[in-house]
Amino acid sequence: MKTMMQYFNIFQKDRKLGIAEQKGRYDLPLHQSAGKTFLIVLVGLMTFLGMMMLTTSFALHSLAGRWSSGLENAATIEIPAAHKEKNLRSDEDIAKLAKRVEEKLSTFSGVKSHTLLDKKDVSALISPWLGEDIAMDSIPLPGLISVELRDNDPETLARLQSALADISEDIRIDTHEEWLSEILQLAGGLKLGALLITALIVFVTVIAIAGAVRSRMAEHQPDIELLHLMGASDYYIMRQFQRHATAMTFKGSAAGIVGGIVCLLTIALVSGQSAQNLLPDFSLSGVQILILLCLPLFMCSIAFITARFTVLHVLRQMP
Amino acid sequence: MIKFEHVGLRYGIGPEVLSDINFTLEPGSFHFLSGSSGAGKSSLLSLMFLGRKPTRGMISMFGQKIGDLGRPQLCALRQKIGVVFQEFRLLPHLSAFDNVALPMRIAGHNEKEIYNNVNELLEWVGLGDSKNVLPPTLSGGQQQRIAIARAVIARPKLLLADEPTGNLDDAIGFRLMNLFEQLNRMGTTIVIATHNQAIMDTFNHPRMILERGQMRIESDSATAKRTIGEAF
Repeated sequence: MKTMMQYFNIFQKDRKLGIAEQKGRYDLPLHQSAGKTFLIVLVGLMTFLGMMMLTTSFALHSLAGRWSSGLENAATIEIPAAHKEKNLRSDEDIAKLAKRVEEKLSTFSGVKSHTLLDKKDVSALISPWLGEDIAMDSIPLPGLISVELRDNDPETLARLQSALADISEDIRIDTHEEWLSEILQLAGGLKLGALLITALIVFVTVIAIAGAVRSRMAEHQPDIELLHLMGASDYYIMRQFQRHATAMTFKGSAAGIVGGIVCLLTIALVSGQSAQNLLPDFSLSGVQILILLCLPLFMCSIAFITARFTVLHVLRQMP
Repeated sequence: MIKFEHVGLRYGIGPEVLSDINFTLEPGSFHFLSGSSGAGKSSLLSLMFLGRKPTRGMISMFGQKIGDLGRPQLCALRQKIGVVFQEFRLLPHLSAFDNVALPMRIAGHNEKEIYNNVNELLEWVGLGDSKNVLPPTLSGGQQQRIAIARAVIARPKLLLADEPTGNLDDAIGFRLMNLFEQLNRMGTTIVIATHNQAIMDTFNHPRMILERGQMRIESDSATAKRTIGEAF
């Protein structure tokens, strides 16, 4: 004898069967197709790689931006440690010249501020290249004055160079342009490379989804034919594939995003720094993080559109 | 309703399996389609349910020339036709309920209406208790009843059946024939391909007889009986 609960369950099942089954039901057995897992894994990998590439691109963009903005109006005035005649200047000579340069800078309209680097600062700048063991007192060091210009235009620099030449002809102004342009060029190249790889990932995803859809259509051709004979339109059949491809892509891309987040955190941990220490160098803006988190939606859009065009194209070739 | 004019059909470069077929079926008519095995019954039915295009001649259905129709119009036309396939062609991953509901879903009926109509029809064909069961677990006769229920659920204007009683015992076979009669009285045009002499004798309808790719219609069942006997 059936209990009330059993009757209730049957009733629920009937209701689900007749009314609420629409969401999960496929007229074609696409959810049972072979290779379903392959598509999920492939999309997951593509999303993961896309996330890595976009993160790299964003990080390079922000680093390049920071470098260029930090050095935009900056210049360094160098009083060489040696004369033109290759005679070394004494520390006192360099100090005297530096004092005269500072006096000149104080009255120069194009200079916003200036700072004389003492011997300790200069040693700190050089030590990464020479090593900690070198006694800095034993080597000649140039005098360096860091300058912030009001406007980094060639005319101001020419006037400043001329004013400094009055003190000593071998005093140089370094606006870091050569170094900065090379670095920015490199960063730009890397950024472009990362974007190209991202585009390639999108292309591969489109090809993979189109291929998967085509193979499922071939697998279920008799069933598709049957739906056609019952009067199903191309769009009715297309929606089945579209829903399936989008669902598979969402699963794969969500897994890819989780993998990407885990990977980025692991890189931060393995590199021996906490995420906070890593952030000043590779920080992402809120918009950039949002873009990365929207990757599954982007991948789903790709699947949605790809499945639509593939199915309609193949169906139109059918009798 | 249906008009065939000089229709011929061949598969690939083979000989014509149907040649110069000419007939007109009036709305609300009921015909048996008969002929020896390989005479072209299934091929003729496939032309009628728009599963194939003829290699020559012209087919008109519901007042429209088939050759002039685009894909969307063909879909709309196919929704007016119910088909019982010889090999049933049920979707094995769908329950009996969902198989029967398919034409209504394709036609865009609401789920409430589908639920009521499908349950009622499944009860009527004696499968009320098996609606959640997948077709591969059902017997041939039960599968055939699902196929018939699927063909009639959307109240088609034309019903085509290929050996619909082939796997059924006589009692259920006659019960289903009564269902077809009932549908016919409600205005559905019916063409049934069958070898079952008893059914053709009991339900006295004109017979379309195919012989070596040619067709003729016998409206007198006695003449038809004699002709079919000769053909076999």
